[in-house]
Amino acid sequence: MIGQVVGHYRVTAKIGEGGMGVVYRAFDETLHRDVALKVVKKDAGPDAQANQNLLQEARASSSLAHPNICTIYEVAETEGELYIVMELVEGKTLRALSGNAGLAPESVLRYGVQIAAALARAHDKGIVHRDLKSANIVVNSSGLVKVLDFGLAKRAGPTILEGPTQSFASTQDVSTISGTLQYMAPEILRGEPADNRSDLWALGIVLYEAAAGNLPFAGRTGFEISSAIMREIPKPLGPPVPPGLWAVIQRCLAKEPAERYQRASEIQAALEAVQWGAVVSANPGADQGGVRTTVLHGVRHARVKRGDFILLVGTTKGAFILRSNTQRSRWEVGGPYFHGHSVYAMAYDSRAGRRRIWASTQNYWGTLLRFSDDFGKSWTNPQDAPIRFPSDAGVSLKNIWQFTLGRPEEPDVLYCGVEPAALFESRDAGETWSLVRGLFDHAHRPRWVPGNGGLALHTIVLDPSDNQRMYVAISSGGVYRTTDGGQTWTPQNRGIRAMFLPNKNPEFGQCIHKIAMHPSHPERLFLQNHWGIYRSDDYGENWKDIANGVPSDFGFAIIVHPRNPNCVYIIPVESDEFRCSCDGRLRVYRTRNCGASWEPLSRGLPQKLAYETVLRDAMTADSFDPAGIYFGTRSGQLFGSRDEGRSWQKILDGLPSVVCVRTAFIASDDTLAKAPQPAPSGSSQEKSPSSRSKSRSPSRSMSRSRKKS
Amino acid sequence: MPVTFHIPGALREFTGGRREIQLDHSPGVLADALSLLYSLHPGVRDRVINEQGQVREHINIFVGEENMRYTGGLATVLPPHSEISIVPAVSGG
Repeated sequence: MIGQVVGHYRVTAKIGEGGMGVVYRAFDETLHRDVALKVVKKDAGPDAQANQNLLQEARASSSLAHPNICTIYEVAETEGELYIVMELVEGKTLRALSGNAGLAPESVLRYGVQIAAALARAHDKGIVHRDLKSANIVVNSSGLVKVLDFGLAKRAGPTILEGPTQSFASTQDVSTISGTLQYMAPEILRGEPADNRSDLWALGIVLYEAAAGNLPFAGRTGFEISSAIMREIPKPLGPPVPPGLWAVIQRCLAKEPAERYQRASEIQAALEAVQWGAVVSANPGADQGGVRTTVLHGVRHARVKRGDFILLVGTTKGAFILRSNTQRSRWEVGGPYFHGHSVYAMAYDSRAGRRRIWASTQNYWGTLLRFSDDFGKSWTNPQDAPIRFPSDAGVSLKNIWQFTLGRPEEPDVLYCGVEPAALFESRDAGETWSLVRGLFDHAHRPRWVPGNGGLALHTIVLDPSDNQRMYVAISSGGVYRTTDGGQTWTPQNRGIRAMFLPNKNPEFGQCIHKIAMHPSHPERLFLQNHWGIYRSDDYGENWKDIANGVPSDFGFAIIVHPRNPNCVYIIPVESDEFRCSCDGRLRVYRTRNCGASWEPLSRGLPQKLAYETVLRDAMTADSFDPAGIYFGTRSGQLFGSRDEGRSWQKILDGLPSVVCVRTAFIASDDTLAKAPQPAPSGSSQEKSPSSRSKSRSPSRSMSRSRKKS
Repeated sequence: MPVTFHIPGALREFTGGRREIQLDHSPGVLADALSLLYSLHPGVRDRVINEQGQVREHINIFVGEENMRYTGGLATVLPPHSEISIVPAVSGG
């Protein structure tokens, strides 16, 4: 190969050889730089389909711009051979540096922090290394760590990373699996899929090896090594290894993934804490991490059962769960839950057979996401905040403004919109969350400014017909849309005014208050702006003002009728300066023609001295027929209509300021087994009986109540 | 010299209900003592500091009767037998 030209790379020297192929030093004759060129061995190389996978993986890895990650420049094929072009990293592997005596603890900490930072970045991007080992980590002469081969190991072929059966069949000679099996987490040996926590196990092995000079789990054969990994406790590391470092390693090497650190950023923080001199003790009686459940005594609970209808009410001082039957005329109140915490986001998740209520809580002790699977009797109280910005983000979480379920066909997907403005995503039903970097790293972000409530991403709208398209709204940043599942985002604000800026029609920077979409018309969006009510008929490309005949076009909440996509509800307030219902009359406005005209709905609502504000998430609808509409006010009143807004009843008053209202119908098990209907924005409910249901009576009773009214 | 943490009610869920936690070590500065507390009772950490390692805006930590914000922050040197109190600030509506 030496002297040959591969693509536009001239091979100049052989650097090394591994299980996956041979690595050469090469010169890029186009960009005039030295690179590393890895030629994948044909026998280790993937088949045609796997080739495609490797290319995709490499593309993902090439997006991992991080000082501690070796950059992949290109993956290509020539004459049937696959080759990978990457940053040329010159230095020594951590394996070579560690020798048989191990490194000084200061060096282990210094390198460990950098490796953890690299993993944190990759995991945030959804990339698991799967073959982290000291031979894959290079330290240059300046002490800078580079982690190699990100995302490649997964596709590297059966000789490296197949499941335990394959390994066991060929591992009587440990040399055939040297450098890999020793780093495998117990769950991989059990045949379970690897996730980011398997990388954290491997990091524990790497740290141990760097500190001690030998591996924690040894053996003469693969069986012996596997057995040690599965069952043995590593030999403790004493001085000069500080107890804090040993504590970190121990937690990385917990046999069960749930007992390890859950994020690389936590390990980075822990190592940094040891680095700056903290005395961290590994106390066997210490309280270890994990999700904790708090059973709430002394709080009144609503006795929710199947066939019930519930309202979830978030306020600035706690959450309430209101139970009724399908008649929705009498209410049993549960709560307050989370005394003194602001609960800006609530949701009911019935996907995949769950009966789970989610709530975000915020007070001076921080912001948490919690859930209850028993309608409020007990709630998770996670020891570690589930949603957290990575350390390199430079910001910290203030509040969770929005909680949105993924599409019905993605039952484990969840989204959170937070303050400071950012989007977080979970793909494992909330076990772990990652920052959506495509939006956070957007060039516009430094120019977004806080609105009255802070700089928040408060609205998330998913297109049910296209799982790559979604919208978010930011105050004050505007509407942003992705059409590639969140990797890239574009501002979509053409036609929306920003009355508070010199340029009234900027590309971005608008103070959007809420967006609503009906699932049957994903191309059509309705928007309540900080001054202005708008509609887009082309996926947010263009917006036109539809504030035709409303007393004020200032307001917060906007929802679409659950079945009629032309029908929209708003609750105007007088002005930016006086954010109260116009003329002291609390009126909901409805359009049934997409905004061509609006009608006031006030029967049953206070029409004198009613200076009320309804905030952006404090209005919602149920999915009965006729539909129920509900809203809560800043003064703590809760109103509902069982006839689509024609008449209203006060459900409750005396609550703290209402910031979130959601509905849910609690289906019977047989109904739960069916896929839930997509809910229109502003509601979070599962399939409920409609008027077309013959087996239930609520539609008839609702019809009666309509006649009465 | 041991130091003692006074744990507020909201955090006792994470200390097994204990109002006081005495550390047998002799941490030199407040940051060391807090790290030790977090390692013993991990749930306390995210309630006292944010993910950037800063003490939360509305949480005060007193060493004796002095607010650490005026004595050197997390680098506050701990005298022997220090008593450290974690207290939510007087704020909010």
